[in-house]
Amino acid sequence: MNPRDVGGRGLPVHARTLVLAIESSCDETAAAVVEGGRRIRSSIVATQADLHAQFGGVVPEIASRAHVESINGVIARALAGAGVELAAIDAVAAAHGPGLAGALLVGVSAAKALALATGRPYIGVHHHEAHMYAALIEDPTLEPPCLHLIVSGGHTLLIAMDDHGRYRRLGGTVDDAAGEAFDKVARLLGLGYPGGPVIDRLAAEGDPDAVRFTRPMLGSGHLGSGHLGSGQYDFSFSGLKTAVVQHRRRHPDQAVADVAASFQAAVVDVLATKLLRAALDTGIETIVIGGGVAANSALRSRVAADAARAGLRSVIPARALCTDNAAMVGAAGWHRLRNDGPTGLAGGATPNLALPGT
Amino acid sequence: MLLLAIDTATRRGGVALGNGEGVLGAVELGAIELGGRASVGPPRHAEQLAPAIEWVCDQAGIALADVSAIAVGIGPGMFTGLRVGVTTAKVLGLALGVPLVAVPSLDLVAYPLRHAAADLVVPLIDARRNEVYFALYRPVPGGVQRVSDYSLATPTDLEAELTARGRSALLCGDGALRFRSVFDDHDLVALAGPGHATPDLAALVELAAARFARGQVVAAAEVVPLYLRRSDAELARDRRGA
Ligand SMILES: [Zn+2]
Repeated sequence: MNPRDVGGRGLPVHARTLVLAIESSCDETAAAVVEGGRRIRSSIVATQADLHAQFGGVVPEIASRAHVESINGVIARALAGAGVELAAIDAVAAAHGPGLAGALLVGVSAAKALALATGRPYIGVHHHEAHMYAALIEDPTLEPPCLHLIVSGGHTLLIAMDDHGRYRRLGGTVDDAAGEAFDKVARLLGLGYPGGPVIDRLAAEGDPDAVRFTRPMLGSGHLGSGHLGSGQYDFSFSGLKTAVVQHRRRHPDQAVADVAASFQAAVVDVLATKLLRAALDTGIETIVIGGGVAANSALRSRVAADAARAGLRSVIPARALCTDNAAMVGAAGWHRLRNDGPTGLAGGATPNLALPGT
Repeated sequence: MLLLAIDTATRRGGVALGNGEGVLGAVELGAIELGGRASVGPPRHAEQLAPAIEWVCDQAGIALADVSAIAVGIGPGMFTGLRVGVTTAKVLGLALGVPLVAVPSLDLVAYPLRHAAADLVVPLIDARRNEVYFALYRPVPGGVQRVSDYSLATPTDLEAELTARGRSALLCGDGALRFRSVFDDHDLVALAGPGHATPDLAALVELAAARFARGQVVAAAEVVPLYLRRSDAELARDRRGA
């Protein structure tokens, strides 16, 4: 690794470089201290799930307000947890998009204030890039190329990471994100919010083969035979949601656990199959999952099993690294600082930010 | 004693450095929207605030580390603008280990008119949706004294309240300019000029310096914007519950 001067501040980026990172793109206020882009010194997440539960989904204005309330405490706890003073921090990173506009700019403003006060560089990090770098924390030996499935309430993406900062977007959802489908189906089944964890729990008691729900957009193409760029790695979950509605209407007495397990099996089947198919098509030998839905037990075991059977390496980050957190922002920020330098204090927040290097 | 002052409640935000004697340096963010005309793009406080702070410090030859407190206008005003300013202020407070002086932005519109001949000074900040944030102040020796709650109402309702009070009032703030026609036929109401459209940075420095001297400071972590309006989701929930 070549130490490299950052922004003329005489700061080389190396294995001991400490990045203080902030994440506030949705409903988690998080801060972390990450060393050398790989090692978590501290990671604090203040979740707002309870605030949004009564509304059945994330309310952007409520999320933004809650971020402002908790940001100082979260930063202070991250520094204390890492056992470092602010003066020991080498750079400050924040997720600057995509995400909720009002929520993002709390983290960006906070990070820039810290950069201003310390004279350290500020790095804006793409939220999806951060999700990918969670895997490099989980497995310190991991290097690109690797293939990432990022699935959460806000994103469903299949991205090839060819190198640090170099990505190819292979596919994404054409309607609902996978996590959204979990939330909507959970609401439909009267299970509450957020839907992912509750369906995961309930599905463990149900029969995943009880109902054969449709596997949307899985019809065409056989494993390893597809062509890149034809939309075959896209996802669609709104039809599946409708199928659950119709099934529920026709079979109101069927055990909810069976319906939940069957729905989850369909989602997992689609996600895992496309991930594996893309790995075989691209020849990338490492598959990785990230995002809140990557905390789902069925998806985790399925991807691990698929990889083992196909002779691929799989990296399944700890659940706390899959859901939104700031450690992943710190890891991505360290790499971005080393390879591209700082963003600068004039950086803003962009709700629909495009992934760099695509 | 040295203060860094920030207000981003309106389209025109600003940063100043000052002390007990007044402003040492200041810079404004963005352009001002007058007379309710269409704005030129969204405000860019999130991008501009940190560079503006750096610029003001450089110009004044002052290091942030020398600041004794951060003065911040907490609104009411644009939600996103407030979040940028308040977040920046409170995290700077955390990073520098200094307290905040939190001043409602309506105070900062009213204070420069403390010598007005009217019975009441009434700053109106545009709240969109045909509503204004406002409060009523009485000019008193050395300042203005607030005689109402910080409030949110339609300009028509405010006009009715002023009529009912039967006192002379000087209206100021971007809301007064935007909704001036509502008050046109009102004999007791006058409008301040466009120089009184937004929270005044010199007022923030002066009021905050006095409060700082009296020990009226707040721990950085405790400061939140004065929104005055709840989120749409909460308003809708309460309507359903009612
Ligand atoms: Zn995410």
